[in-house]
Order: sequence, then C-alpha cells, then structure tokens
Amino acid sequence: MQNLSLLSPALALSGLAVLALLADMLVPPSRARNLYHFGWASAAGTLAWLVAGLADPASRGAGSLWVVDAYAQFFGMTILLALVLCLLMGLDYKALPERHAGTFTALMLLASSGLMILVSATDLLLIFVALELVSLSSFVLVGFERGNPKSNEGAMKYFLFGAFSSAIMVYGISLYYGAAGTTHLIRGAAAPGPMLMLGLILILLGFGFKASLAPMHFWVPDAYEGAPTPVTTFLSVAPKIATFALLVRVFVSVLPAAQFDLQALVVLMALTTMTIGNFTAFFQNDAKRLLAYSSIAQAGYLLIGLAAGTGRGVEAVMMYSFVYLAMNVGAFAVVQAVGQEAGSYDLSSFDGLAQRSLGLALAMTFCLLSLAGIPPLAGFMGKLYIFSSAVETGHWWLAAAGLVNSVASAYFYFRIAHRMFFRAPREGAAPVVAGPYIYGAVAVAVVGVLLFGVHPEPLIAGVRASAGLP
Amino acid sequence: MTLADYMTVSALLFLIGVFGALTRRNIIGILMSIELMFNAANLNLAAFDRFLHPEGLIGQTLAIFTITVAAAEIVVGLALLLAIYRNTDTTYVEDFHLLKG
Repeated sequence: MQNLSLLSPALALSGLAVLALLADMLVPPSRARNLYHFGWASAAGTLAWLVAGLADPASRGAGSLWVVDAYAQFFGMTILLALVLCLLMGLDYKALPERHAGTFTALMLLASSGLMILVSATDLLLIFVALELVSLSSFVLVGFERGNPKSNEGAMKYFLFGAFSSAIMVYGISLYYGAAGTTHLIRGAAAPGPMLMLGLILILLGFGFKASLAPMHFWVPDAYEGAPTPVTTFLSVAPKIATFALLVRVFVSVLPAAQFDLQALVVLMALTTMTIGNFTAFFQNDAKRLLAYSSIAQAGYLLIGLAAGTGRGVEAVMMYSFVYLAMNVGAFAVVQAVGQEAGSYDLSSFDGLAQRSLGLALAMTFCLLSLAGIPPLAGFMGKLYIFSSAVETGHWWLAAAGLVNSVASAYFYFRIAHRMFFRAPREGAAPVVAGPYIYGAVAVAVVGVLLFGVHPEPLIAGVRASAGLP
Repeated sequence: MTLADYMTVSALLFLIGVFGALTRRNIIGILMSIELMFNAANLNLAAFDRFLHPEGLIGQTLAIFTITVAAAEIVVGLALLLAIYRNTDTTYVEDFHLLKG
C-alpha cells in the first residue's frame, strides 16, 4: 500500500461520513437538521482542502492501485462541487425524514468518497470496490423516502439493474484477469485475444450502467423519477461524470488503442445513447423523467469525446462534464422548487411560472437553453469543443449526428420554456416560494452557465492544465 | 479436470444466471440468479489463479472481495425488498408499475 496518503481527501470524506452516521444516533431528532449542515460543510471543507493542495506537487503521484494526477484532482473537485450543491438542495427538500438526516448525509458522503477513489483508480479490483461503494449507497438513497411507493419502486428497479450489471462486470474482470494475469490496467502486458476482448466489453457494459449508456439505460427514468430530487440531481451528475473520467482513463490512456480497437463500439454506443435519450424525451410529461432522458442524451454527447480519443477529446469530455454539472444541477433545483410547491412534477406545474416567479423561470430557461446548446451559454461552448474534437479525428458524421440530436432536443427543452412563459397559471397557483438553499444552488449554477458561456477561457485553461494523462 | 472444464461450468453458470435474471418474475428469484452470475465469476477467478497464474494471489484475493461485496449487495437488496413488500404486499416485478412513460 504505497502512497495511501494521496487519497486522503477521499478517505477523510468517508471518515466524516462515519461521524455523521454516529451522530445520527446521538443527536436528538429536534436538532437532526444540523447534520445536513454538517454534511455540506464537510464536503465544502474537503473541496477547500483539495483546492489548497493543488499547488503542492506532493499531492500528486502514483500508489499501488491508484494514481492521483491533475486529471483525478479536476474530477475530484467536480464531484465535491456537485455534492455540496446537492446537499444544499437536500436542506430544502421537505419529504426527507428529518430523523434520518445523519444517515442521508453519511450515504451521500460515502458515495462521493467512492467516486473520488474511482477517478484515480488504475486497478480493476479498486475500480470494482469503489463502484460498489457508490452503487450500494445510491440504491439506499434512491429508496430513502420509505413510505413513498414510487421511491421504493425506483430503488428496486435501480437495484436489480445495478446488481445485474455489476455481476456482468465482475465476470468481465475475471476474464481480463485470466488473459492478462493481473488486474492492474497499466502494468498488464496483456496478449490481445478473444478472451481479453470479451472481458473488456463486459467491463464496458458495467461502466455503461453507471454512466447510463444506451443498452444499460433502462433504470434511469424510473430511478430518477422515484428518488428524492436532491438524490436524482446527484445521480444525474456525479456518478456519470466520474464514470466518464474512468472510461477515458481506461480506454484512452491505459489500453493501447492499436491492440484493442473498441472505437467502433464506442461510436455505436454514442449514436444510440444520444438518439434514444432525445427521442424518448419528446413524449415525457413528468419533469424529472424528461430530465432523466435528457441526461441520457447528454451522456451520449460525452461519449463522442471518448470516441474521438485524442488529447482534445479528453479535454472536451472534461470541459463538458463541468459545464453539464452546472446546467443540470440548476435545472433540477428549479424542478425541485416548482414540484414541491405544486405537489407534483407534472409539466403542467410549470404553467405560467414566469408570472408567478420570474427569477426561477429565467434560471430554468438559461439552464435548459444551455442543455440544448444554444450559443451564448456554457453548454454551447462544451458542445463546440466536443463536436470539433470529433471532426478533427475524421468522425465528422458523428459530429453531424450530434448536431442533429441537439437541434431535435431543443424541441422538448423549449416545451418547458413555452409552458413557463406563454401559458396562464393554473387556477389558484401561488408564486413559488423556495428555501434559501435552493436559491443558492440555482444561483451558483446559473452564474456558472452564464459565466463559462461568455468567458470560457479560465475553464479551458484549467482543463488544458489537467488533461495530461500518464 | 482441466481449465477448459472449469471455464465451461463457469460460462454455463453465468448464462443460467443471465437467463434467470431476465426471465424470473419474483424478485427473490432474480436475486438468486444474480448470485449465480457472481459465483460464475468467482469460479473463473479461482480456476485462472490455479491453472494460468499460480505465482500470485490476485485471483483468490479478487474472489474473496467479490464474495464479500456480493453479500453486501444482496443485503441492501433484501432491505429494499422488505420496504417495498410492506407498502405493496407483493414481490412480483410485474406488480410494480407506478413508474412508466
């Protein structure tokens, strides 16, 4: 176990999770709400620690099963940022049982700790354990509203798919081990052969489950609709981004591309993921389900950067993940505020939102336009980067397919915008009054969407500096 | 017993598990099928460790990790099943149809 200290931010986060779990038993229910504050404060503290350590070269290095480089640190910060925002949203989510605040916080922190380990893992053993840590925590989080049958059902479907796909992944790992004689991804001097190929494809399917890629995406809408909204937000952002970080590490930098040409498969997955996501989203009438399909489509765009496979493709994936974090969290935070007020997440609760709460309606519009990739916003810059990386490597038709998909996706994003601005509010619909923490999360997200849209240079510079993979 | 025998048994177990997981209607049955898939991988790992790479312990270590994690996974699954059973009085997947679209 060399250099375990490199992982100390992730380990500290899991330590804090255990503390929250213990505190859950000791703190009286009347003061349990403080544990939510403990949660986001410890996430923010870890984030600050990680940022402060960036300048120190000793914070990077290689361990026995992990590598902490600038790339892993970039994704670690992204995950922690998502965690802070989602825990803030949790503070204003009324359906969460106050009594179990500590458990909720602990599970969120544990999942993020697993994700932070995942982005620096270079050994299939560690990847498997970290993925399971994330999965087990998120199964419980999805079913956290125990009295709500929808939450139960979403959790059960998520669990069945999750366990099935991790069993497939473990079988793939066993084949990889048989062919390579090791589970380490860098040291493995594997002889290419059918067994290794099959193993890698099964492992890719296992990752695809977490990142909601096309053949493994069936759980997404059900789990997202059933889960408490802060958990939905977290699931739609953090595990997806971390799994892409892992996919890029495994398929771009670790495996020599000449020997294992899985590019055709990745291209196919990118095409189907985008198309299925976008074209199923047309028919959704529930805001959370619609955003679930939209997040599947967004994963498809990210896959284009992976299919390009060049340094620029890696930069594009990093840049788009960060931008995606801002716009998706913003959209979900508004959905939570509106849905909570109306008592349902049906699209009709957005009717006339502009007349009721103009600020929330504008924030939602910015996030949706950014998700659709409309120019002055951050989503456009991200998509530009992704598509240009595909064109550079000669996948111009993949970029064209992505473009067609973006144009088509504008339809269902505008459907919500149309409802907010051009429909009369329902009878007796009151202005949406959300808590301060929701407004905080929305504000952070919208600032990110606008700022990186008109002034993306700092983000591009940060991504360039961290994109160098070993 | 050669390596090929072990691999055949393991592949059969895995396929039976996949088939069961996709066709069973009862959640308990699905959980058992998934368990078969995990154990197919364990059998593979142990056989590869013994026949192909006897110099290290990686295969055995990985198998022990898999057994542990699979057990934890099933515990979470049963807890979720208990929660859903209390609310709906059923363990059959076709009865879960609140979420669709």
